[in-house]
Amino acid sequence: MPAKRRSPQWPWQGLLVLILAGLAAGLWFATQRIHYEWHWARVPQYFAYHDEALQTAPVAGVVLAISPSGADSRIEIQPDGGGQPVTVTVETDTLKVKTGDPVAEDADLGMVRSWKIGPLTWGLWVTIWISFISGLIGMVIGLITGLCRLSPNPTLRGLAILYIELIRGTPLLVQIFIFYFFIGTVLNLDRTVAGIGALALFVGAYVAEIIRAGIQSIPRGQSEAARSLGMSATETMIYIVLPQAFKRVLPPLAGQFISLIKDSSLVSVIAITDLTKSGREIITSSFATFEIWFTVALLYLVVTSVLSQLLFWLERRFARSD
Amino acid sequence: MIKVNRLFKIFEGRSGQAVRAVDDISTQVAKGEVVVIIGPSGSGKSTFLRCLNGLEEFDDGQVIIDGIDLTASKTNLNAIRREVGMVFQHFNLFPHKTVLENLTLAQQVVRKRKPAEAKDKAMKLLTKVGIAEKAQEYPSRLSGGQQQRVAIARALAMDPKVMLFDEPTSALDPEMVGEVLDVMKQLAREGMTMVVVTHEMGFAREVANRVLFMDFGRILEDAPPAEFFTAPKEPRAQTFLKQVL
Repeated sequence: MPAKRRSPQWPWQGLLVLILAGLAAGLWFATQRIHYEWHWARVPQYFAYHDEALQTAPVAGVVLAISPSGADSRIEIQPDGGGQPVTVTVETDTLKVKTGDPVAEDADLGMVRSWKIGPLTWGLWVTIWISFISGLIGMVIGLITGLCRLSPNPTLRGLAILYIELIRGTPLLVQIFIFYFFIGTVLNLDRTVAGIGALALFVGAYVAEIIRAGIQSIPRGQSEAARSLGMSATETMIYIVLPQAFKRVLPPLAGQFISLIKDSSLVSVIAITDLTKSGREIITSSFATFEIWFTVALLYLVVTSVLSQLLFWLERRFARSD
Repeated sequence: MIKVNRLFKIFEGRSGQAVRAVDDISTQVAKGEVVVIIGPSGSGKSTFLRCLNGLEEFDDGQVIIDGIDLTASKTNLNAIRREVGMVFQHFNLFPHKTVLENLTLAQQVVRKRKPAEAKDKAMKLLTKVGIAEKAQEYPSRLSGGQQQRVAIARALAMDPKVMLFDEPTSALDPEMVGEVLDVMKQLAREGMTMVVVTHEMGFAREVANRVLFMDFGRILEDAPPAEFFTAPKEPRAQTFLKQVL
């Protein structure tokens, strides 16, 4: 049997590596040219940091006793004016006083350290949950609108078309402003609610079109078979058409939700502290502009990749019957 | 069992002219009777058949199934459809359900049967059409003939009083036609009322009580098969038979 002839792959893979290396070198030279100093070490503290809380004497007095408890020490202070002794706990290695020392009010006694969540982690969390909630609401809006779009009733159909065209024909940024400054003021909405509302309405319009296309892609024979078995139009939709349509629209829906996560960065304009806004705030204090923006981009990439893997897995599960 | 009175179905053509797919048809089908409808393509046979269970809305006339008028305002179409089974040219099995689920779904949703009862019924019917061993497979894993037999079993699961067949063997590979026709013949022997649109002249000759020849949306000839196949009266039926036999 003659071997199948295949052109070798390695020259092309080599070229790929070369191009990537060239890009990296270009980036390095570019930052060299503008004399940018990289401070990557400043970045991790914005994910989580060791917070040091100064412990001070609540009253002026004398240190009565110091008793260790684990890594901490309990300092008992006898107030100068008499009365019950006051206790302050600090970590032993930061202890600044000895037994018998007189202490003034607000004198430094030591520290208590604890891990705190940094603004990047917090912003990431806000981005995730805002996207999740608005995605969920958008899905419901999209499903209802998609069904209305296909309804034989002209009122429902007209409303659905109007909504879809309005949303798809205007920029999301403008929608967020309108939602926040107009609807938000009229209904007295919290900025987070306004942000989620604007995103949900936005994604709902796109989901509606995806669902409509999905339903229309199911052959007529499917609903005819279901109807011929005596199922009502609603039962046919629920048991036959929607499950099949949903399977088909999963890839475009996944794309839409990934877009949503990225688009959610726009809610930072109404002062919701999402990942993007956190990044901007951090830069004003850290001056590590490039590092923070690269980190923010990477975090978005991680979230969208995880989501796309998740949906890919879901898609494969649904493909069992093919 | 079925009574059709002056039935009309008119399609609006693209250029505005009306096409009379069903043009003033009146006929009757008795209980236990097997009626085969033949005719050239575009003669309105399928449209006529689809009018019988309301899948196609007709423009004028009357269809009465088992004493219930399809057009009466109080008639629940879904209630009639569950008494009228239908088998399609392209099977139309539900691809996202297993073979067993294809048979049990409507029983549970429409007939409100318990899952165990529905499954029992489904397995009996799958055994009857000879594919019980494929119950857990998805339809895409079955051959065309097997899919069509599942489709017949699915219709039968609703305990219909009438079965409509819309060219059930036209989409099948030739070697699979036989297995589907065998199931249909068995049904006919068991006394099922059947209306069959088909190009299988052999089946018509062997099983039918009556043959209806349709062209231009009208029934041109209505005769027992022996008479129709040996001595057709209509000239159009004569030319048609000459071409297919």
